[in-house]
Amino acid sequence: MPVVLLERIPLPSLKTYTAFCVALLASALFYAHRVVTSLESDSDPSNSATGREQVLPSDSYTWNMLFVVTTEAWCVWTLVNTAYCCLILLGKLIQKLVFGDLRVSEQQHLKDKFWNFLFYKFIFIFGVMNVQTMEEVVMWVAWFTVLGFFHLLTQLSKDRFEYLSFSPSTPRFIHVKLLSLLMVILLSCCGLMALCVYIGLQAGITIFAFMAAECMLLALRAFYVAVRYAIHLIDMNLEGIWENRSIYVYFTELTFELAVLSVDFAHHLHMLLWGNIFLSMASLVICMQLRYLFYEFQRRIKRHKNYRRVVKNMEARFPIATQEEIKKNCDDCAICWEKMESARRLPCGHLFHNSCLRSWLEQDTSCPTCRTTLSDRPPEDSTRNVPDGRGGDADVNLQQQNNPNAQTTNHFFHFDGSRYVSWLPSFSVEVTHTQLLPRTRQSVQQTSQLDNMARQVLQVFPHMPLNLVLDDLRETRSVEFTIENILEGRLQAPLPGSLMSRNGLLSEESDEETQQVTSLSTGNAVISALASPAESQQNFTDESQSELRRDDGPAQFSSRFSKSATERETMLQERKNSMLEQARRRYLTNQSASGSSNIDTRAMGSELVASSETWQFTNDPNSSSNETQTSSSEYQRHCRELAFQAAQKRIHEQRNT
Amino acid sequence: MAGSALKRLMAEYKQLTMNPPEGIIAGPVNEENFFEWEALIMGPEGTCFEGGVFPARLTFPPDYPLSPPKMKFTCELFHPNIYPDGRVCISILHAPGDDPMGYETSAERWSPVQSVEKILLSVVSMLAEPNDESAANVDAAKTWREDRSKFNEVAERTVRKTLGL
Repeated sequence: MPVVLLERIPLPSLKTYTAFCVALLASALFYAHRVVTSLESDSDPSNSATGREQVLPSDSYTWNMLFVVTTEAWCVWTLVNTAYCCLILLGKLIQKLVFGDLRVSEQQHLKDKFWNFLFYKFIFIFGVMNVQTMEEVVMWVAWFTVLGFFHLLTQLSKDRFEYLSFSPSTPRFIHVKLLSLLMVILLSCCGLMALCVYIGLQAGITIFAFMAAECMLLALRAFYVAVRYAIHLIDMNLEGIWENRSIYVYFTELTFELAVLSVDFAHHLHMLLWGNIFLSMASLVICMQLRYLFYEFQRRIKRHKNYRRVVKNMEARFPIATQEEIKKNCDDCAICWEKMESARRLPCGHLFHNSCLRSWLEQDTSCPTCRTTLSDRPPEDSTRNVPDGRGGDADVNLQQQNNPNAQTTNHFFHFDGSRYVSWLPSFSVEVTHTQLLPRTRQSVQQTSQLDNMARQVLQVFPHMPLNLVLDDLRETRSVEFTIENILEGRLQAPLPGSLMSRNGLLSEESDEETQQVTSLSTGNAVISALASPAESQQNFTDESQSELRRDDGPAQFSSRFSKSATERETMLQERKNSMLEQARRRYLTNQSASGSSNIDTRAMGSELVASSETWQFTNDPNSSSNETQTSSSEYQRHCRELAFQAAQKRIHEQRNT
Repeated sequence: MAGSALKRLMAEYKQLTMNPPEGIIAGPVNEENFFEWEALIMGPEGTCFEGGVFPARLTFPPDYPLSPPKMKFTCELFHPNIYPDGRVCISILHAPGDDPMGYETSAERWSPVQSVEKILLSVVSMLAEPNDESAANVDAAKTWREDRSKFNEVAERTVRKTLGL
């Protein structure tokens, strides 16, 4: 709504503007009244020869008023001004009724949209249409004002819908209001379309095309928001998972985006070709816009192709899991945490919902759980880059290739520079190809992956030799299965003494990222010594163990999940406060305990905390904006500090005596 | 997109409320926007951050859990893996594509099976054992490596500050 503008530009406030408009309108009406009455009083038979009667078309007072107001130039402008004022007020009213206060991002979008619209329509009216007469300008401006008004409302509805979809507990009447606004916009679009046809019949096909294109763009946008909204509401009110939801969402998005882009493109092309304006600023602007639209279109198509490929690949390679498999898995989908009724199975044995898996595969090519690369290419012939094809490096490579379980194609390049010139360096590079997407992100290297998995297994069973674990991992492709194998005795550790190459795996240093340490002794294992994964894994387990050990922590607070949003909010706040209080108490106790052990300072600490019990956790910027609240919390902070000092002093005194 | 993200966040919130991990509280700042959370993290015991309660903000993308959330401490925290403005730099929060430090393997990056709980547990372990190889705060990394007593002193001050003492 243009109202938002008033905040930025030094324009009068809405109140002043409205008052001004009313005053102007009143004076115009008064003027008309004066003219009409004076003419009527003049129009007695004695003055009939003056010819003034021609001015007044009828005997009715109202018609005469209307006639005067619409013919006198300044009165016409007053009417236009009043119309704008009414529109602004209407916009404000709708905003108050449907949206309430606008959020900052909504205001920003609105402002951007408004200026964009203004700019392009200015170009259109004066650059493309090359309007000459005042009446035409007024007509076009009126048309675009109405259109812009609805565009802004649509934009606002879209923003608001996106925001509302972030919350699970929106009252029903808010949805109803927003949806009815969208319906009103759509109905108005129909009305505008009828107007287009009417005007088109008189002014020709070109004008009709111009107007209809704008109208269609508006209708498409509003309709898109409405459809998305409907899908969202159905989804939210549906218990359980709606398997095909993402397909619907995807295809509505695709259809509407492509439709909007093509209509917009045709509209701009029409402007460029019709206006005969190849050498003007307007053509430049339109060309830029055309270019942008074209790239957007291309981008969208490319994305869709990628989507198709992912879907095809997924359907071809990952079978739908059988009911027994799902039953055996007896776990929720790890991506959406919802129950699985149907699922797809990855080669590594992990199950996911069809839609969840697809949206993940669109952006990555590995199993979300175990990170196994899910490349769709069969192993290719190795490109050997060994200078003279000699030595064991190539053997390793071949073994890698011949391994039937290897899913990715690894290329192992070895360059032994010292064979040629003494100062040339030697290096080896291993390249893993995973080509699911055109712009594949760097995917997990097969070897480092296996290696990571091996590490995890070895953490549990340090006595197992690495090569055995690696072999088994190649078979099972899952840490869990290998561990199971070991537990059930299918995989047995040989006698001690035959442990080999574990040191190589667990060594914390690697010379270079790309350089893979090749263990020829084991013959079939390529080991990369990437240190960091193991380290973080280590941290993680250590931490969770220490978490388990910690038993003197605060008592478990309410472990109840309320249905009502406000209750949840207050409960969360209470838990936060209690955590803070307990941490504070513990801190004070520890402080004093570190001084002397035989004094019962625990009581003192709790006494201190009790004195500041009313203190609320106000780190939340949303809630602490209130001035009185901050000042009171500052006061309480001060009190607490004093109490803390006093407590320390008392501890000192007790210790001294 | 936001629909499935919302459901998943709801489920995570529920789980974190029903069985909260020790020393971690997390939930939406405001029920009107489920994509903005606040978490309170207790400093791990036996470290210089012991006893502190550190508030942090988690901002979730609309396509969560396909993309990782962003995490930012709202208190001052002098730590090698936390940027001076509070942003947390750990590999679990990086999408498989981007690698700001240029050395992480994607095995330790974000994947949709990760969760808020796992993130917060990793942050706790990061607090316990800073990784000074990939320093987000170079000053802190240097102090951590060279002048541990000073680092502990700063941490102690932070702890007191977060407790409001």
